[in-house]
Amino acid sequence: MKYAFYPGCVSRGGCPELYPAAVRVAGKLGIELEEMKDVACTGAGVLPQYITDPINARTFAKAERMGLPIMTICSTCQGVFGQANLRLQDPEYRARINREYLADEGLEYGGTVEIKHLLWVVMEDYGADHLKAMISRPLKGLKVSPFYGCFLRRPPEVITPTKETNARKSYLEKLIDIVGAELADFGGKGKCCGFPVLTANEESSLSMTAKHTSEAKSKGADCMVTPCPLCHLSLDGNQPRAEQQEGTSIGLPILHMPQFLGLALGFSPAEMYLKRHIVSTMAVESKVNMMT
Amino acid sequence: MQANFSVYRKEPGAGSKAGRSTYTVELPEDATVIDALLKIRDEQDPTLGFRGSCLHGYCGDCTVRINGKAGFSCAVKVAPLAAKGGEIAVEPIRNMPVIKDLISDWDTFLWDKIDVIKPWLEPNGAASLDGEELIDDKVMAKVRQAMSCFYCGLCDEGCTVLPVDFKFVGPAALTKASRFLCDPRDHATAERLRILERPKGMWDCVHCFEASEHCPREIAPTERIIEMRDMAFKHGITNEKVARHHHSFANSVRNSGWLDEGRLAIESEGLTNIKGLMKLLPTAAKAVARGKAPIPFLHHKRPGADKIARIIEKAEAKEK
Ligand code: SF4
Ligand code: SF4
Ligand code: SF4
Repeated sequence: MKYAFYPGCVSRGGCPELYPAAVRVAGKLGIELEEMKDVACTGAGVLPQYITDPINARTFAKAERMGLPIMTICSTCQGVFGQANLRLQDPEYRARINREYLADEGLEYGGTVEIKHLLWVVMEDYGADHLKAMISRPLKGLKVSPFYGCFLRRPPEVITPTKETNARKSYLEKLIDIVGAELADFGGKGKCCGFPVLTANEESSLSMTAKHTSEAKSKGADCMVTPCPLCHLSLDGNQPRAEQQEGTSIGLPILHMPQFLGLALGFSPAEMYLKRHIVSTMAVESKVNMMT
Repeated sequence: MQANFSVYRKEPGAGSKAGRSTYTVELPEDATVIDALLKIRDEQDPTLGFRGSCLHGYCGDCTVRINGKAGFSCAVKVAPLAAKGGEIAVEPIRNMPVIKDLISDWDTFLWDKIDVIKPWLEPNGAASLDGEELIDDKVMAKVRQAMSCFYCGLCDEGCTVLPVDFKFVGPAALTKASRFLCDPRDHATAERLRILERPKGMWDCVHCFEASEHCPREIAPTERIIEMRDMAFKHGITNEKVARHHHSFANSVRNSGWLDEGRLAIESEGLTNIKGLMKLLPTAAKAVARGKAPIPFLHHKRPGADKIARIIEKAEAKEK
């Protein structure tokens, strides 16, 4: 199993714990990664499509040349890529982008690249049974709330285009089950984390942070797990400010999906860089340490 | 078939408390939820308030929440719900103040917000008084699709932002704005964008695609909002904060190929906005101490950055 690895910006910027944790987890599972280094940011839904479609087509063309599917570790990267790739399936549009933007560099995108988030790679290509066999530290007794964020759930034509891909809506719950943890389910798991409006309406953004984390907490969660570093910035990084705004205390640790899986694969909390979070992960760490 | 209902009740007036009434009704097999409500009002409780008009799923007037899911009460069949046993819960839709029982206040929910976006065409003068302005059907298809909105409110009901900020203009009104912005006969584009860029306007949307998922007519409100933002990008963003954020983001990708988040956070607040910057400090200090914060001067150029920059410049030159 080999992928063109697209780590995205945040996994080395605002969430520098994510990149090394994901690389370690992939290594342990025997997933081979060839990192894409000379490609651009996806645009993250901030830059307009007329800029991001060409720069993303360039990334796809490079992966196509490598002969590999792309693996992301960010729901936003996954979403923006997926939406762009869908538009680029239109041969006329693709030909125009190729002609106007990629030909200069001698590149051409043929429309064939597959793009998968690590969560999908593990559940679809690696397989649940295979993964189960790799679990060396079942996270028994740890209560975990899933948090997908928007872009691993919507829009359906990008995320769940076929009947089989419908299962993607519950991969996190499945993962929680596979690693032996307990599910603390809650209604907000597929909602927006609030990050996209942090600039335009901070109050609204922080309200969403507070809403999701306190709802999970009220369901008895010890922590929350997310496949998206931007959700992590919102739920972990902004949690203290959200507490302040709403006048409550929440204190819910937020784990990146690879960190969570890594703990069950036997990595120590330090090897998964849990200390780099804003909300203390002590409660999770001590539970995990008792499991070994 | 017999079915049990638990219906949300509230009398008009600020002080009145919400409650529930339960009813058991005998219904034909093909009955819909609104058939049940009509029967309850006719035979058991004339005080029950609810809305409905066409009774054919066409007008969007009877939108309620049925067992926690928003839908048209005239289009949802009772039988499968009754078969599950227990009570069928009927509530007013979310994000809307309740006037009485299932009757919600559409004025503050929707109509006032639609008023704000200038819901009329500003003709560009191309059509002569006695003639007509011919438009490519492809272009018109998009306008028509927006015009098929029947204000059912399902997109607003499903919106992520409205529950935390009721003043947000919401996807239904933004869809209406898109109807005029994609109409070639309209000439008020710049003014419309300025209105939409105000606080609580289109930049407050989190582009979560919930609105599109909730719309029964495939009008794709979320995609339309994204499109209008791209339009604003082309015209020059007038919302100061958002403009700073976007320019910092674009510059970062243009200069290095990827995002410099350290700089983005600071530049989005504004380099002279001391109060805004101070607010970032506690989290930033903690982040630095934990080896988490991205430090702007450590941000390096990525290989291929010049090629990426060339593409961006080309795209901008072409679109502006
Ligand atoms: S979406 Fe985010 S992490 Fe992904 S490439 Fe862009 S800014 Fe970077
Ligand atoms: S996309 Fe925007 S307007 Fe639509 S539901 Fe989400 S936040 Fe609301
Ligand atoms: S855009 Fe769709 S969901 Fe929203 S009010 Fe119109 S028809 Fe209803």
